[in-house]
Amino acid sequence: MATLDPALAPDTPAGDLHLLERTWSAPRGLGGWFMHVNHRRIGRRYIATGLALFLLAGLEALAIRTQLAVPENDFLGPEAYRQVFTMHGATMMFLFAVPIMEGIGIYLVPLMIGARDMALPRLNAFGYWMYLIGAVTLYAAFFLGVAPNSGWFNYPPLSRREHELTIGIDVWWVVVSMLEVAALVGAVGLIVTIFKMRAPGMSLNRMPIFVWSILVMAFMIVFAMPTLMTTSIFLGLDRMVGAHYFDPAGMGDPLLWQHIFWYFGHPEVYIMFVPGLGMVSMVVATMSRRPVYGYTAVVLSLIATGILSFGLWVHHMYATGLPRLGTSLFTAASMLVTLPTSVQFFCWTATFWGGRPRFTTALHFVLGFLVIFLIGGITGVQLGSVPFDLQVHDTFFVVAHFHYVLLGGVVFPLFAGIYYWWPKVTGRLLSERLGKLNFWLMFLGVHLAFWPQHHLGFMGMPRRVYTYLAEMGWGTLNLLSTVGAFTVAAGVGVFLVNAAVSLRRGAPAGDDPWAAESLEWSTSSPPPPYNFRLVPTVRSRTPLWDPDRAEQPVVVGLRDDQREALSTTLLDARPDHRVVLPGPTIIPFVAALAAATPFVGVLFGLHWVPIGAALTFLAFTAWNWPHHLGTRLEPEGGPEHRLAAAERAREEAEKARGEEVRR
Amino acid sequence: MPRAPATAAPLRRRAAACALLPALLGGCVGTGVQDVLAPTGPQAARIADWFWISYALAVAVFVAFAAILAYGLLRARRRERRGEPAELPPSHGRGLVIWGGIVVPTAILLTLLVLSAYTDRRISRLGRGPGEHPVTIQVVGHQFWWEVRYRDPANPHREFTTANELRVPVGRPVRLVLSARDVIHSFWVPNLHGKMDLIPGRTNDLVLQVDEPGVYRGQCAEFCGTQHAKMAMLVEALPPAEFAAWWERQLRPHPTPVDSALARGHDVFMQNGCGLCHSIRGTEAHGSVAPDLSYFGERRTIAAGTLPNTRGHLGGWISDPQAIKPGNRMPAVPLEGDDLRALLSYLHSLR
Amino acid sequence: MTAARGGARLAAGAACALALAGCLRDLDPYLDEGRRHTVAGGEPGAAPEAMRRYGCVSCHTVPGVRGADSRVGPPLAGWSRRRFIAGRVPNEPDELVRWILHPQGIKPGTAMPDMGVSDQDARDIAAYLFTLR
Repeated sequence: MATLDPALAPDTPAGDLHLLERTWSAPRGLGGWFMHVNHRRIGRRYIATGLALFLLAGLEALAIRTQLAVPENDFLGPEAYRQVFTMHGATMMFLFAVPIMEGIGIYLVPLMIGARDMALPRLNAFGYWMYLIGAVTLYAAFFLGVAPNSGWFNYPPLSRREHELTIGIDVWWVVVSMLEVAALVGAVGLIVTIFKMRAPGMSLNRMPIFVWSILVMAFMIVFAMPTLMTTSIFLGLDRMVGAHYFDPAGMGDPLLWQHIFWYFGHPEVYIMFVPGLGMVSMVVATMSRRPVYGYTAVVLSLIATGILSFGLWVHHMYATGLPRLGTSLFTAASMLVTLPTSVQFFCWTATFWGGRPRFTTALHFVLGFLVIFLIGGITGVQLGSVPFDLQVHDTFFVVAHFHYVLLGGVVFPLFAGIYYWWPKVTGRLLSERLGKLNFWLMFLGVHLAFWPQHHLGFMGMPRRVYTYLAEMGWGTLNLLSTVGAFTVAAGVGVFLVNAAVSLRRGAPAGDDPWAAESLEWSTSSPPPPYNFRLVPTVRSRTPLWDPDRAEQPVVVGLRDDQREALSTTLLDARPDHRVVLPGPTIIPFVAALAAATPFVGVLFGLHWVPIGAALTFLAFTAWNWPHHLGTRLEPEGGPEHRLAAAERAREEAEKARGEEVRR
Repeated sequence: MPRAPATAAPLRRRAAACALLPALLGGCVGTGVQDVLAPTGPQAARIADWFWISYALAVAVFVAFAAILAYGLLRARRRERRGEPAELPPSHGRGLVIWGGIVVPTAILLTLLVLSAYTDRRISRLGRGPGEHPVTIQVVGHQFWWEVRYRDPANPHREFTTANELRVPVGRPVRLVLSARDVIHSFWVPNLHGKMDLIPGRTNDLVLQVDEPGVYRGQCAEFCGTQHAKMAMLVEALPPAEFAAWWERQLRPHPTPVDSALARGHDVFMQNGCGLCHSIRGTEAHGSVAPDLSYFGERRTIAAGTLPNTRGHLGGWISDPQAIKPGNRMPAVPLEGDDLRALLSYLHSLR
Repeated sequence: MTAARGGARLAAGAACALALAGCLRDLDPYLDEGRRHTVAGGEPGAAPEAMRRYGCVSCHTVPGVRGADSRVGPPLAGWSRRRFIAGRVPNEPDELVRWILHPQGIKPGTAMPDMGVSDQDARDIAAYLFTLR
């Protein structure tokens, strides 16, 4: 019922399928590897790189927990501990969570909205390369023993040159700036794609909730990330040319950093978390076999979360001695932000209530998310209170809180999403049995690892300490916590086994193993290079569940011999015009190398800044040089065939102009 | 939403403290390990009260949501087993979302918000009323120790400096004026009050009060560098009369010792440059970048609350501070054995 | 059949090895391997806490005692195999207790201070040190 068989559209001859395939296929060879611009390639790279960094950051977490397992341990020295906890935080926040969420968005959004590719494929590829160069730079510093060492939050004056000479801090601001560039261009690509590339008929109020969540995330990135870039460049100026932004002796103010950093840093948490909410909604609907209850409420909640998250930053700064009146407003805001999430919690509950839930691994992870995130959310409300926060701020209570929030709100939905979409991406099923084991290990591990940390906070254990005296009595709970961390790691290990087994000999998934609702399940698994043989149209929020799906019209008139896509209007997704998307090109890679030069170069000398700027200018000049986008492929066969194809294309174009969509 | 560490846990912990902490805190009675939920000051007590209320509400919220979710899932599963069609009367769904998702949470949040604001007002009013003259102590954060200056606005000659250990009178508000020399630190003694940052270029203040005599431990709560973990402080609450007497004692300068062993220790101290960083009132040691050592013999701990102040620990600390607290600012002082022992005797004689 | 015979041979070999190990343990004092010393009235279990309290750990690295990784004084690993204390007196229980109580009495001028260790604690510490092989 869901597949769009070419046979259903008799006026598109099957002969062109081969041409379409060639037009959209990826370039071959090593050189070709640097030229991919297709959204699924780029998305897969983001996801794979993000998962690899998740594993690295996980190993760092194990190192931290090993050091703290017993009092006065000497597994890591004080300096090594500084670097490792900084790397754990920076990797999880900057290199794992945001990029992997963007990557999943980049992979899934075009499929969900019935597009053949992202709107800005080259920019998208450029973003990935910037991300990769940033990640490699950071880890190169780590393996050379000069990783950043003053926390992912990197507060001055500690991070100013007079207190920390290490090049690690410079690596931090340089890498963070590069990653922000990557995140920003990724977000811009997603916004344009979502606004302009939706299948005809998919008006905004018919978009899958996951697409909404990605849209909200992308807007949050656009508003939050530039502030971080600004402030990290301020820090760079302080360190490299002796500016005084954060120098109290030079009329600067260390608190300026905290304001700007948390103005970014708090939305950052929601940037990671909002796509998770979107994934949960998709999984809940499919696994309950009914649409999510209260679509409008859920979407408005996502948007409200995105907006409110910009008004919370001061709750990271209650102990800095800000005026009391102001801080109480932030208490109110911190409590208010829980309402949109509680609305969604009850929308999902109502969905279960009126649905027929299937207890798959993906749904297990969703239920795990509900429990874990609820606990993290409750401690979050408590932390919003100024007096209580003054006690537990910067203690292990906070560590427990945000691990509940981030593991619950990011990692569990992510795993739900992975179990849910894996068959689409790879064409193979994951083992449900290993999946359940994976779930239970992670679920129990999270509680074992982080529940005791609430108590440690009450017992006065501050964060970021590399050791503690045996007499403090923190040993037992820390040991439990360490056992829990290893349990979570075992769960992740089971996932890796499951993934490897599935890739080697998993059962074929078919197009739509879950009988799901949204468009990505209407194409083959994995999807062909052009995503959809025939670009679909949409009449409802759950297109694949429409009873008359097979009779619904499809888009015709898109050329097969170049990467052509249909652009639609912003609100109602009415066909607007055709766009030609660029094909494989080396330009994004070269441009990323050039754009990374001033950032990485500044670590070696200021003169690299003008050199890098010049290179960047040249690269982007080349990028924007007027030329034909992509290459037109010749249809196979003799000149007659070619003529016929051209004729048909012209006819189709005319037809499309008059009536883009058969209704 | 942490579970109550019931009453047993603090007791057990206190018992453990009785066994082990005397070594660190010098064997005094009424010693509290760091514990947010065992308050001995009015502010910590009010914060703990707020926590217990929020905790009760949190448990209720968690149980209620878990029950609704479980009921929904089980109901759906039962229907599925019986082959009944899935249904959700629209009123049910709307009721769930409006009552469960909006009305009830809003009521709970408003309750917590009002109580939080009320708690905040009460704890911030202590010692700030007209006519109240709290004891004023200036605390300056350094990497990785605390400089403590006792202030007397009426008579600057009655002011003095010490380090890492505060003494305060029981039952009287104490105003701490907080600033930092190098990076951001945070002053936190969990049994007494929440924390407040010490920020270079700014001044914060924190008023606290201790209700029971005893020694309370706290430690730096803002990451301040390599030895953030070993930057602790002790607050000892004395009965007011004892506190006043102690203050008087602190004002006496130390005469140069006459006892030959102590005189040798004094000379070792001065000749090895210790006085360039440390100071001892009444001698030519006037350094200000390291803890003041006047009345060092009274201190319970060395290395900022890290080790008990015994001859053994002090000897090891002076000989190789970097082995004990790698990354701290004190260099090793190479001394001959006799000189080292004389120095230990001299330092411990400062009381 | 062959498997059973193999198993029997293995068992016989293991028994021989055990017997040999037993002989070697009897020969210990002669082989100079970990001479066993007992300190009258010393309770080794109480020593780690005492060593942390008095501050032994701030100068010496002592296996099994937390926080003891300083190199100011000699590391105390393998103490029971030491021949001399401070290069002066034989490493006997009574001498060790005397050394812990009053280092100056054995080696005037040593940097090791008199730490005011109680007699019982000194015995506990000595007993503990003699368990270090």
